[in-house]
Amino acid sequence: MNIGQVVGGSFGNIMLRQKSGSCLEIGDLLVSEEDDHILILQIFDLEYGSQMNGKVQEMMSGVILEEQLASSEFYEPDFVNYILARVKILARINTNDTVVLPKGMPKFFNKLRMVATQDLKFLQKEDTNKIFVGNIRSGSKVLYDAEVWLDAFEIFSHHVLIPATTGRGKSNLVKTILYYLLYSNNVGALVLDAHNEYYGQKEIGLKDHPNSRNNLVYYTPMNPPPGSPTFIINLNAIRPDHFDGIIDFSEPQDRKMREFYSKYKGEWISELMLYQYSTPDSDNPAEASKSAVTINVLQQKLRQALDLKVNYDENIVLSKHNVFDKDRGDKTINQIVNHIESGKVVVLDTSNLSDDAELIVGSIIASSILDRYKSARAEGRLHEKPVATIVIEEAPRVIGDDILKSGINNIYSTIAREGRKFQVGLTAITQLTSVIPKVILANMNTKIILGNEMKLERQAIIESASQDLSEDDHNIASLDLGEAIISSIYVPFALPIKIPNFKDVIKKPPDNKPKMRVF
Amino acid sequence: MKFAHFADVHLGYHKSDALKRLEKYAFTHSIDRCISDNVDFVLMCGDIFHNNIPDMRVQKMAMEQFRRLYDSGIPVYVVYGSHDFSPISNSVIDLFVAAGYMIKPRGVALESGNIGLDFITDPKTGAKIAGLGGLKVGRDRDYYENLERTPLESESGFKIFLFHGGITEMMDTIADDGMPVSLLPKGFAYYAGGHMHEHQNEHFSGYNHVVYPGTLFAGHSSDMENSAKGQRRGFVIVEFDSTVKSIDFIDVPTCDYVLIVVDADMQTSDHVQDEITTKITSISTNDKVVILRIFGELLRGRTTDVDLRAVRQQLLDNGAIDVIIHRREFTSKEYDIRGEPAGTMEEVEIKTFQDNIKQISMKRDHLIGDRGVTLAQSILSSTRIKQPDNETSADYAHRISSDVISRMELDV
Repeated sequence: MNIGQVVGGSFGNIMLRQKSGSCLEIGDLLVSEEDDHILILQIFDLEYGSQMNGKVQEMMSGVILEEQLASSEFYEPDFVNYILARVKILARINTNDTVVLPKGMPKFFNKLRMVATQDLKFLQKEDTNKIFVGNIRSGSKVLYDAEVWLDAFEIFSHHVLIPATTGRGKSNLVKTILYYLLYSNNVGALVLDAHNEYYGQKEIGLKDHPNSRNNLVYYTPMNPPPGSPTFIINLNAIRPDHFDGIIDFSEPQDRKMREFYSKYKGEWISELMLYQYSTPDSDNPAEASKSAVTINVLQQKLRQALDLKVNYDENIVLSKHNVFDKDRGDKTINQIVNHIESGKVVVLDTSNLSDDAELIVGSIIASSILDRYKSARAEGRLHEKPVATIVIEEAPRVIGDDILKSGINNIYSTIAREGRKFQVGLTAITQLTSVIPKVILANMNTKIILGNEMKLERQAIIESASQDLSEDDHNIASLDLGEAIISSIYVPFALPIKIPNFKDVIKKPPDNKPKMRVF
Repeated sequence: MKFAHFADVHLGYHKSDALKRLEKYAFTHSIDRCISDNVDFVLMCGDIFHNNIPDMRVQKMAMEQFRRLYDSGIPVYVVYGSHDFSPISNSVIDLFVAAGYMIKPRGVALESGNIGLDFITDPKTGAKIAGLGGLKVGRDRDYYENLERTPLESESGFKIFLFHGGITEMMDTIADDGMPVSLLPKGFAYYAGGHMHEHQNEHFSGYNHVVYPGTLFAGHSSDMENSAKGQRRGFVIVEFDSTVKSIDFIDVPTCDYVLIVVDADMQTSDHVQDEITTKITSISTNDKVVILRIFGELLRGRTTDVDLRAVRQQLLDNGAIDVIIHRREFTSKEYDIRGEPAGTMEEVEIKTFQDNIKQISMKRDHLIGDRGVTLAQSILSSTRIKQPDNETSADYAHRISSDVISRMELDV
């Protein structure tokens, strides 16, 4: 059914008159049927049009209001007053379903219709390496037959950015993406779960996936559910460089840390935390005293960052949240990296950790992953490995402008810059895109944009998008819960989607338990 | 009160007479110690034997030692290991249980589809013992996931849980046979483990004292090399009343070792031969087990140009107890003969299975990857069992084929 007609405008700003009885919305996808192809268009703005000038319109309004007229139809409103839509061309689809960038405009006076599922056949899922992210959305209308599947290998090796403010369905999106990753072993994902919300200990979650037993590993420090390993990391696994770009140390503090590391190797944190200053027995008491002050500050910083406590009576260093341990957990990092290399999703419950501790844990594991993948590339084995992605919330904590301007790279910024060469990517979630440097944003080749009411943030998203979203400011601002736009070098145009509710994604299989033979 | 905890004794593993003698010595010496220390009972957590039906020589020797414990009033509580278990119940363990020399905690299949485990109360100490052995390759996890945990966890008293399997948190790798500690029922005073060949003792939230004694002497090709590197071998004696008081590792020093490592990478075969000769003449190997590891890719010459048979003979002539040569990673650039990997028999088998399984694509996870290799090894091991003199060929063939079919989980 026709919903309007092209009446003017320019290439990126075509004017469309709405047909009476139609109800156009910002974001609506339209189709213009041309001779040997179709054009997909999208509404980015709406305004009123009228054949009457302003004074006459005001006079007509007065007649209606003051004469108590029930309607204004006496002057043939379908012809006189109407809605105009501003439309941009997204793509040209040839008869063989190939998609190309548009270079022409629809014919003048051409009548347009709403997009239909058959227009979007090119989005069809072709192989198991793809993940489902949602259904095509036209304005607020969802095309349930038009599913959007993205190539997991491509998008995760080239970094994914999920910009969103609170309450726009960020967790639901991440959970949905991870859920589809569990169907295959093509992507290994490390998820730092600061809110312990993805696994679903008490409610539905990733554990309810039919492959969760083989492809999902959930680490939690306290009372792991049966089948899940305990999240314990040996303090010896932490090196001074794991703090780089995460915690700010002065030069003397940094030097002192490295001194302890050089002297005590794996035991350096324990030795440093247990160090107690006594009267200097050196030739230079002033220097020794200064050194003691540096150590004291370091102890405070490490205590705070890693949530450590020191028992001087028993000469031991303990972790308040049981994640760091002096004696246990020496295999955990290795095992997590092995799981990632096997294409599994590893969820770390970091809800009890401080922000810094969470980032340091991620830093240790991410460094190991990158090292392994670098070695694999050097040995010509990289193609045997699944792509690895590190899912991190509040990404500006590690790839923010202020952090990177300090001149010290952390592992996350290193991965953002050079990870894709080694099949290691970031999946960065943020409310503040504007504080991530443009050079990093440019490397994030897929952005799944959720609603954002902050003008500054929308601007940063638009400027870094893979497609021209310069006219989509209103569109992004009006994205409701679960609505998103995918901008990526791997999609032909910015795809408006509706992300499914995770509860609808889960389809629990019936519990048919066979009786087991007992020996 | 105290008990001894053994695992992975692997009686019957060794092929040479010298190592068979050491294996017997280690076991006999350990039983001596249990008796002299007046332990109240003994736990044996799987892989007591290397095969489910070992040679008569091995059975006789084991029978003598378990009889000594029995006569001393020391009960032995056991669970199967992955080596001494057979899915069609042909296991020497059952013979020892029937004879009264061993006691095996019982499991029952419940109507709900879950598995219930009964406690056995040790009459002398009151300790309550439950357990689940290592069963099918890669399938133990199924059993633990279906365990009826509440009755086990709510039972009061001093409780011991016997198990045979790798605990992920205590393993270096993510081998398919590992399982997280959270699969074990909580709240036991002591978790007596088997399967991991290195002694370990760790605790986790809700799980005090998860202990592996490690292998007593050797049950895997890498064990003696690890012993040579300083890994301790022995068993554990635990003192307890209402809780565990102490856990002591009892070293069983069976023999001395010498480890000779030769890096052949980018060398000629002549150079490697010279290096081995220099090394073996510069160290004393008398009355020691010698482990020779050669690795790397020869630049010139064939691997067979290095006369390892002569090396072995020279070491034995110099008084070595035995010589074990690891050469799986020893290759030649010039003559890389694929399909004939060199190494110990076990290494050759693993490599061959790995190479071949890599080339096939199947939907059944347990037939491919590491699980496939382990399954193939287990099948090969079951076909290696000799036909007893008094068994007909037809019965033997039926027994072996049934065992293999069951291991493969085929419904025939």
